[in-house]
Amino acid sequence: MTTLAPQVGRQRSRRRPTSRTLAPYLFVFPNMLIFAVFTIWPAINGLNLSFYDSSNGRTFRPVGTENYTSILSDAEFWAVVRHTAAFTIGFVALSTAVATALALMLHAQRRGRGALSAAYFLPVLISPVVVGIVWRAALDRQTGLVNQVLSAVGLGQPGWLVEPSLAIVAIILVGTWIHLGFYAMILLSGLQSIDTSLYEAAKIDGSTPWQSIRLITLPLLRPTMMVVIILATIAGFQAFDFIYTLTGGGPVRATTLMVQYIYENGFSYPIAYGLASAAAVILFVVVFVVTFVNYVIGRRSEAI
Amino acid sequence: MRTRTTISAAGAALAALTFTAACAPGSSSSTSDSSSPKTIDVKSFKGKTLTYVYFTDGPDEQATRTAISKFESETGAKVNLQILPFADINTSLQARLSAGNAPEAARVADWHLFKDEAVDFKQYFGKDYASQFTPGAASTVQDGSGHMYAVPSDITINGPMINVDAFKKAGVAVPTKWTWDELVADAKKVAAANNMKYAVAIDKSGNRLSTVLSQYGTSMIGPGNKNVLDKAKATKALTFFTDLVKSDVAPKDFWLGSGSKYTGANEIFLAKQVPVYLSGPWQVGAFAKNAKFTWAAVPNPCAERCGGFPGGKYMTAFKNSKQPELGAAFVEWMNRSQNQAEIDKTAFWLPTRADLTKSGIQYPSRNSDMSVFVSQISETPTDTWAGEASPAFTNAAKALIAETDKVVAGQQDVKTAVDNLSNAVDKAIKGAS
Repeated sequence: MTTLAPQVGRQRSRRRPTSRTLAPYLFVFPNMLIFAVFTIWPAINGLNLSFYDSSNGRTFRPVGTENYTSILSDAEFWAVVRHTAAFTIGFVALSTAVATALALMLHAQRRGRGALSAAYFLPVLISPVVVGIVWRAALDRQTGLVNQVLSAVGLGQPGWLVEPSLAIVAIILVGTWIHLGFYAMILLSGLQSIDTSLYEAAKIDGSTPWQSIRLITLPLLRPTMMVVIILATIAGFQAFDFIYTLTGGGPVRATTLMVQYIYENGFSYPIAYGLASAAAVILFVVVFVVTFVNYVIGRRSEAI
Repeated sequence: MRTRTTISAAGAALAALTFTAACAPGSSSSTSDSSSPKTIDVKSFKGKTLTYVYFTDGPDEQATRTAISKFESETGAKVNLQILPFADINTSLQARLSAGNAPEAARVADWHLFKDEAVDFKQYFGKDYASQFTPGAASTVQDGSGHMYAVPSDITINGPMINVDAFKKAGVAVPTKWTWDELVADAKKVAAANNMKYAVAIDKSGNRLSTVLSQYGTSMIGPGNKNVLDKAKATKALTFFTDLVKSDVAPKDFWLGSGSKYTGANEIFLAKQVPVYLSGPWQVGAFAKNAKFTWAAVPNPCAERCGGFPGGKYMTAFKNSKQPELGAAFVEWMNRSQNQAEIDKTAFWLPTRADLTKSGIQYPSRNSDMSVFVSQISETPTDTWAGEASPAFTNAAKALIAETDKVVAGQQDVKTAVDNLSNAVDKAIKGAS
């Protein structure tokens, strides 16, 4: 027969000294301070600025919601919204599909996985501005490497950067190239967390490799894929730097996306910080809603 | 052997523009013999530092550095020269000014953007300071109240340059006067004979495209900051130009591939891909150094009118900088007679000072090319100067490029483009007033 030990010790441990209670908060305080100063405060300031007008960047006149109504009645804004939506949808779809295929390939790779992973990850480390400049040379219709290869196999010399419909394709391809390694690494870690005994059981039951991917891998990878889709969606809406150096927003404004619209409003003459801030708030709302919808859809599909 | 380029022709032409200068209240017809500051002792700047934000067209960088060294040794002040790409200068300066981080001085192509922040040079150097410059140049740096918010550091005039070797090989005479139709016919012949990709190249710039508008008889903005766009003439000009680009006689990829940013076609000319290139005298120094073929500046083509389109570069100083007085003194010093002359010689700039315009500048080479550009000043219609001097010009020029882009890409016809342009010019004028 066993007897229960007295609970005296446990009761005593519930009363921690104040220094131990405060310690976790002190550890996170510097980080929270930096976050508040460099993220929260500028965001609040930006929201506030969206209700003001400034023609010189220093004197501000309250205008209520005039900036918002002005933007929403601007035909160029809606053209920019269409371009941003087209880019984001293309970029998210292509990035997720290719990164998934790449992750599956790397996962199946026994030798050289590390070296290959590093190679695919490399574009993530290059400055997007440099990426834009390099791809600008590579996609030149007359002298670019891409068209030299296409021309050699009889596919002509498409005007990647000079035909509006192709320019949007070009920025989707380059955007995908930049982010591919990052998304593939996330998906690879998701693949590695899948229990291998499931594949062994499936193999014993006579499953083909494609059936294993379709019935085991993809369903179990879905939560990781949702993370990638959400990250890619945010990156798509925020794309700017490599596009600005690759196409300058052209041809004929076909690749001018939301962030460039904000940038141009904020820094062109006459300066319109209020208008730019209002556009940034609209972008934030759109990104938030789309991300939230993605999240809800992801949760539902997980539940199923 | 060095020859002497006399700029008296320019002086005469600019003197003819006195009506423009007369429109600028505060400018004076009297001249001041003193070119030194009236209220500033430059010796008091010893040990102080000023930041000079600058963009370069090439050889002017060394000329500027040399002048800065001289300024530093004369005053004991230090100059922190910060060089930015031309396309980024306005954005970068606006960001710095908004952030309360104004440089002491800057070189700009449009000072109107910064007039709220700029010092009034007349406050430092007297109400007659503007009269040290030619009436035309002086008129471009004063606002309606006669404040002088910038100093004209060099005057420019658009004009073509040709690949003389290519012309000779094709058996086409170097032109001394030609129409646009003759230019295109000659250029096509030369391009074909030399296996060049294009016949004519023009910078993607609203200022350069304004040259074509002017030659076809119209401008966007006239005296009194008024919309003077003649739609019929603008339609003719844009039809002619966009047909050139659409047919790849002028490089279509270059035009469409540059996005919304200013882009020079100088590399295409230097790569011998085009025999005729419309730009301006600021290219002379760079071409003298880098062109691997014989080239020459030639007169502008004529349509309804001849001549080019004026422009200029300005130096301004900022009143909210750490050393506004030093900034103003630096700008004044750089544009004193001897100093501006030294820079002009190396940079192949056309002077803005009345005395230098009268005496002429002796360039170390390419005098005949500089003379051609000078001759184009007198050929240029006087109404174009009001457009260049207008605070609305930058945005009107942007609209001209944007509307032309859509025509070239097949998204709209020329008539729609001209209608849109006229509305955009109205909007630009309203925004700038």
